[in-house]
Amino acid sequence: MSANAVADASFLIDWVKYSRSKLLFKLFEVVFISESVLAELRSEKTLTWVAQGLEEGRLAVLPEFPDASREALQLVSRSRRLPVRAVDYPEAYCMVIGRELGYTVLTENGGALAVRDYDPAFAGVEVLRALDVLYRLWRLGHLESFKEGLKLYEHETKRLYTARDLAKYGDAL
Amino acid sequence: MSGIDEGKLREWVERLREAREIRRKYANWEFIKSQPPKLRVALEYFVETGDFRTAAAMAEMGVDEFVDLARYRAGIPLVY
Repeated sequence: MSANAVADASFLIDWVKYSRSKLLFKLFEVVFISESVLAELRSEKTLTWVAQGLEEGRLAVLPEFPDASREALQLVSRSRRLPVRAVDYPEAYCMVIGRELGYTVLTENGGALAVRDYDPAFAGVEVLRALDVLYRLWRLGHLESFKEGLKLYEHETKRLYTARDLAKYGDAL
Repeated sequence: MSGIDEGKLREWVERLREAREIRRKYANWEFIKSQPPKLRVALEYFVETGDFRTAAAMAEMGVDEFVDLARYRAGIPLVY
């Protein structure tokens, strides 16, 4: 797993609601937030969590790199021609950064998750949802129980994982 | 389009359809229908698409503010 990750808004706005949100930094040295994602956040709780992370050096703001930005826009354009939910620019930028810099992408966004699966250009990007983060935390001994950890996360964030999502962790649940 | 994995693409079309059904089923429609037009349409759009960014823009809210309202007050589960 990469020491660095880049998180999009769909991941952050859930994760900050989780009472054990600081556990994220057991997995990653630094979690980057792009300028475009940062600009979308407005609620006090989310911004306070981000501000604390920045102060502690666990979060960092990722600038807009022109080449990555251009490629992200191309990805947005390509995805809009397909019969599936398109990728928006902030998620597309995270995917390009994930591929170019080898960062893990943290997202719950259906468009971004789909791209990783159907577009071979992004097949090598490690994309994790909170479900996957919780599983890894449990495997490393930071959570006592994956099942209970996931239950708490779903309760606190109202994120709902489908049977299809959970199938890959069937033995652990 | 070249290089696209058509099988995976179809699988995601189905996954996102299932997600829409879940949002429709659990949404608090009484709450949604009682909202002023701008917010009501934004919540309905979010139920149908899961696209919180456009929905938030419709409601003239930050994405985190909109999602908080959608999940905690309108009862819309977050699925993809």
